[in-house]
Amino acid sequence: MSLFGTLSVSASGMAAQRARAELLVQNLANADTTRTPEGGPYRRKDVVFQSQEVASPFGSLFDAQINQRAVGVGIADVVTDNREPDRRYLPGHPDADKDGYVAFPRVNPAEDMVDLMGASRNYQANVSAMSAIKDMIQRSLDLLRS
Amino acid sequence: MFDRIAGSLERYMTLLGERQKLVASNIANADTPGYRTRDIDFQGEFRSLLEGGSPAVIEPGGLPIKNDGNNVNLDRESRLLAENALRYNLASTLARGEIRMLRAAIQEGKTS
Repeated sequence: MSLFGTLSVSASGMAAQRARAELLVQNLANADTTRTPEGGPYRRKDVVFQSQEVASPFGSLFDAQINQRAVGVGIADVVTDNREPDRRYLPGHPDADKDGYVAFPRVNPAEDMVDLMGASRNYQANVSAMSAIKDMIQRSLDLLRS
Repeated sequence: MFDRIAGSLERYMTLLGERQKLVASNIANADTPGYRTRDIDFQGEFRSLLEGGSPAVIEPGGLPIKNDGNNVNLDRESRLLAENALRYNLASTLARGEIRMLRAAIQEGKTS
C-alpha cells in the first residue's frame, strides 16, 4: 500500500518549511548585525525549493508495481541576498567607516514576517495532510480487527 | 456477489490512496517554483480501474498560474484532502460490513 510513502511526502514538506522558517528567523534575529565571520554585515538568506522524489522505506520494492512515484519537496539551494548593505550615518559606532557610515544588513522585517507566516501556514497544511493520511491508514488497519 | 463488491471497494480505496498521495505532493510543493498541480480523473479512472491498470496523472485545468510558475491552490487541495479522507472512511466502513457478513456466515456455520 502506497499510503506509507505518502507520509514521507508530507514529512518532506514539513522539513522544507521548517528549514525555511529557521532561515527566516535567522534573518530577523540578525536584522541589525554588522559583524559576521565572513566580514561585513549579515546578508539575508532564503531557500529555493525543488520538487524531488521521496524515498519511502519500501520504496524500491513497490516501485515496479506503482509507476508514478510520490513527489515530495526538498531544498535545492540556499541563496544569499547580494543587495548592497544599508548604509547609515552613525559616526560613534565601532564599525563605522572613515566617513562615519555603518553598513547594516538589508533585511526588511515585514518581508521576513510575511514569509514566516507563509512557512507556518504551509507547515500546518502538511501536518493536516499527514493526519488525514494517518487516519486512512488507521481505517485500513481497523478492517483487520472488527 | 461478495467478491464483486469487495473488489470494487478495494479498488476505490486504492484509487483514493493514489489521489491522496498526489494531494500530499501538491501541498508539499505549494511553494516550489514551476511546480504544477497533479491530479487524477477520479470518475474515469474508477471505471477503467475496474478492468485493471494504473491511474494516469493529469494536470487539472482552470487553475491560475502564479508569478513563479506554480499553480497549487491550497484551498482546493485542502478540500480534496478532507473529501478523500471521508470517502475512504465510508469505503472502509462498507468493507468492514462485508467482512462482518462473511465472518457471521462462518461463525453460524460453525455453531450449528
